[in-house]
Amino acid sequence: MTAARRKRGWLSVGGVLITVVYLLPVYWMLATSLKQSSDIFSTPPDLFPSPISLTSYTETVVNHAGIGRGLLNSTVIAVGTTVVSLAVAVPAAYALARLRVRFVALLMLLFLVVQMIPAVNLALPMFVIFSRADLVNSYVGLILANCSLAIPLAITILRPYFLSVPGEVIEAAKIDGCNTWTAFLRVALPVSVPGVITVAVISFLGAWGEFVFGLALASDAGMQPITVVLAGLTNSFGTRWNDLMAVSVVVALPIIVVFVFLQRYIVGGLTAGATKS
Amino acid sequence: MTTTVAPPGTASTTPARAPRRARRWGDHLFVVPAVLFVAATVLYPLIFNIDLSFRDVGVAQIVTGGAEWVGWENYADQLGRDSFWHALVISLLYTGLAVAVAFALGMALAVYFNQRFPGRNLMRSLLLLAWILPTVVSANVWRWMLDGSYGLINTLLGAVGLVDGDVFWLARPVPALFAVVIATAWSFTPFIMILLLAGLQGIPDTLYEAAKIDGAGAWRRFTSVTLPLLKPVNLTALLLCFISTFKTFDTVFLMTRGGPGEATMILPIYAYNEAFEFFRFDTGAVATTLMLVVPLGLSVFYFRSLRREELS
Repeated sequence: MTAARRKRGWLSVGGVLITVVYLLPVYWMLATSLKQSSDIFSTPPDLFPSPISLTSYTETVVNHAGIGRGLLNSTVIAVGTTVVSLAVAVPAAYALARLRVRFVALLMLLFLVVQMIPAVNLALPMFVIFSRADLVNSYVGLILANCSLAIPLAITILRPYFLSVPGEVIEAAKIDGCNTWTAFLRVALPVSVPGVITVAVISFLGAWGEFVFGLALASDAGMQPITVVLAGLTNSFGTRWNDLMAVSVVVALPIIVVFVFLQRYIVGGLTAGATKS
Repeated sequence: MTTTVAPPGTASTTPARAPRRARRWGDHLFVVPAVLFVAATVLYPLIFNIDLSFRDVGVAQIVTGGAEWVGWENYADQLGRDSFWHALVISLLYTGLAVAVAFALGMALAVYFNQRFPGRNLMRSLLLLAWILPTVVSANVWRWMLDGSYGLINTLLGAVGLVDGDVFWLARPVPALFAVVIATAWSFTPFIMILLLAGLQGIPDTLYEAAKIDGAGAWRRFTSVTLPLLKPVNLTALLLCFISTFKTFDTVFLMTRGGPGEATMILPIYAYNEAFEFFRFDTGAVATTLMLVVPLGLSVFYFRSLRREELS
């Protein structure tokens, strides 16, 4: 018994070591962002920032106009994408779980295949289409582009949740006077809330981290999402690694916060979207 | 739609026949926005892209339209170019290597974190951070860690005697490819780990105990119990990872932009450059359309293995 317990103790120690080593890049990003400019070029590098300096945040991040604008743009795009994806995907996933016709399998296959298309394949024609429709450098264009891949993913993740709602429950609600819409809203939706949260979180994270559409469809600096702004800073900041890492931390922060608080929704959803049809 | 088949369980609760069609109509309507959306934002652009690939589209024709139809000329142009084939080879090399590394690491992590010990769920979740981090962020961090003069990687490798002096990873062809492979694999590994963990949990403990009684060591149990039973899961995870890695753009674009020279010029970046650097939307359309063959071709195998996994 004690031998088994000791073994589990050692396994925990090993697990902590593996986790620490694996996440070293994340720590290094944080540590570098807290160093003062003179300390980032010390050889060998200091593992811990000393003194801890917040200048990269208080001066560079806060004062750089492009960063604030990029964060705002990313927020608008990510929230917009999430709202539109939910509005379109939730009813569709519900219906695709209810309908028993052949085209359901076909549509689900289509939604899965769509997720395998490289973003450049859509960004290129979208640029031409959007140029003609005056949608380049617009929130509408960027949200539409993000939704193109977010909606199929959302439907793939959500359908299993609605499949687990028994058909009898919906039928019973209809006998009691619900129509399709109210049966969906009052019966199916409330029990599928975890699925809806999962999809909302994943849509948001996806759009926040998205890069290719932003790069291709927002040439105007004022319309670029923060990911594209960050990519641009790698040129203009040069070797100001502490500043670059500080911006990276700020870009990663919403993801990390969402991850910490809604982690249980993400883990299941990520794998479900990948493996369930 | 008159022959809509009710699922077996609902037959007893189905009320009078008349309202049935009306009820089903409602459900069909729910799907319409999603279908229209995907048709407009995915299928239409893809078809539009194919149309572009047969025209002569320069800067002038982007906004105005009216590009001249040139038939297979653009295809002949691309297929005759060494740089296109080079990009395809680099893409397959990069994807293959990254998947191999991510898969080996992901398998090792999955086996380790499948053991029972305090804190394992927390550690598993923490590892997923690498997967969930925006690739723009992780690529940037890797660029800094791989810095030739002040990077952490050179310091660490130097400390154990693996490198001597400054290695400028991103400035030399082979090390650069190696670097983008490692950065990509770092993001994908935790995802593979989670996929494989789900498969590992389906293997009953009794099989391992039986193997142990028969005198099988840890490695033997892995090769004779774990691997064969994970085979369908492995195949699905491999294909999925290959397809997702093949699409990758951000990591390589941020770390090397395809360089030095064309050492890390993967197809998505090649196609992007055609269109957005050289403003040749026609040849860019050709490159992207041809590029689709790889993920779509593999998706056939993916769906087949998915179905097999579901059956087993």
